[in-house]
Amino acid sequence: MIIIGEKLNATIPSVKQIILDRDERKLTELAQQQAEAGANYIDVNVATGVGTAEDEIEAMKWAVKAVRNVVDRPICIDSADPEVLKAGLEIAGSSALLNSTTAEPSSLERVLPLAKAYDTLLIALAMDENGIPGSTEGRVSACRKIADACEKQGVALDRLFFDPLVMPLSVNAANAMITIETIVEIKKFAPSSKTVSALSNISFGLPARVNINSAFLHMAIYAGLDAAILDPLETQLITVIRASEAVLGKDRHFRKYSRMFRKKQ
Amino acid sequence: MDESELLKKIAFNVIQGRVVSEDEGVDEGLEGRPAVTELVNQALEQGVDAKKLVLESLTNSMETVGQKFENKEYLIPDMLASAECVGTAMEILKPHLLKQGVESKGTFVLATVAGDLHDIGKNIVSIMLKGDGFDIIDLGCDVPSEKIIETVKAENAKYLGLSALLTTTMKNMESVIDGLKEQGMREQVKVFIGGAPTSESFAEQIGADAYCKDAFQAIERLRSSS
Repeated sequence: MIIIGEKLNATIPSVKQIILDRDERKLTELAQQQAEAGANYIDVNVATGVGTAEDEIEAMKWAVKAVRNVVDRPICIDSADPEVLKAGLEIAGSSALLNSTTAEPSSLERVLPLAKAYDTLLIALAMDENGIPGSTEGRVSACRKIADACEKQGVALDRLFFDPLVMPLSVNAANAMITIETIVEIKKFAPSSKTVSALSNISFGLPARVNINSAFLHMAIYAGLDAAILDPLETQLITVIRASEAVLGKDRHFRKYSRMFRKKQ
Repeated sequence: MDESELLKKIAFNVIQGRVVSEDEGVDEGLEGRPAVTELVNQALEQGVDAKKLVLESLTNSMETVGQKFENKEYLIPDMLASAECVGTAMEILKPHLLKQGVESKGTFVLATVAGDLHDIGKNIVSIMLKGDGFDIIDLGCDVPSEKIIETVKAENAKYLGLSALLTTTMKNMESVIDGLKEQGMREQVKVFIGGAPTSESFAEQIGADAYCKDAFQAIERLRSSS
């Protein structure tokens, strides 16, 4: 399982402040903590909603530079604005994971050339110009649109991480299974692509959220989830990942699972 | 890399349980470095003596692994990973050992007795004995006494290992030993028994040669008996 650390995200109020203050010490601390906790990628989102598009570009450059100075993990450049993605890429280079494109033509037209030019991995969201489809079929069809565009533009399907998207279970009890079934379908039509999920949204509006997150994560991993965007300091979720991989026979000699507990001795 | 450094590296990787270079070890961050398979091949290319490699890199390392398991530092999968390393190394070394005239320590028949489906312990014994230079014939679990006796006869085995986990099936060990006696074969084969309900006194009672509490003790007793 590829773990993408989600903590460096300007939608979190304390992080927003760090970015507005350009507080390099606090920023790099967050990156280091996540790397030490086992994050394979560090997600960087600097959309504070304050200032101009230029400000976000400048903030992305600053943040990527600062993170790269302290950790050796590749960066997941997270923005809805292709210009911000490009700014991050200029600093991070081809090891980066671009987050993200949707099936909207305007997004595909601007993001795919970036992925191709920098030969990076790319997260593809299962949504289009009409928003997030409410059914498995709709999500899969958005993913297929992206896959078709990639083939036309010469972006190999094994460079893609499809994100089936997660809507809160609390508003529709079918929401978890829509995501899980979308993972299964993606694996059928694009077996060389990977899947990724920012899963915590599933439990929004329910108490003791970690239980729902855990159950969902177990099932999503069984369905074929390859990567998770989460807080790697949340040990219960990491435990779920390691235990699921062990049960699925994906952890040779149980090294990853055992190591979690050896450390505690 | 000089010979002693190479032998040390192989030993280290056996203890870490890394068969091939992409394997993780017990410790973090070893993946990608050459492991037992690559290092043993390199040693042979460099002309390292196969027998020396077995003694200095494999046998000693498994003793260390045994101690770590005993101390509860290592888990069952850790021990199996190390045993897999030894098994793989032995496969690579076998033709070279034969060429040097190093003979097998003998044929060893292993079985979990009739009515019993438990074979984790027996499988560990199997892989460890293979690493220690025996030719293993593993008959699996729930093996009828007649089949065990036939195999010992047909293969002219010097050793027989019997395993049982249940108090209801351990008596079948006795029927195997009785069968060997009836066929006049009891003297040709040493019988070792093991499994949770068995014991030193049970071994004595049914006329087995030795009781072994685990794979490491089996190896120890085999060395002192030969």
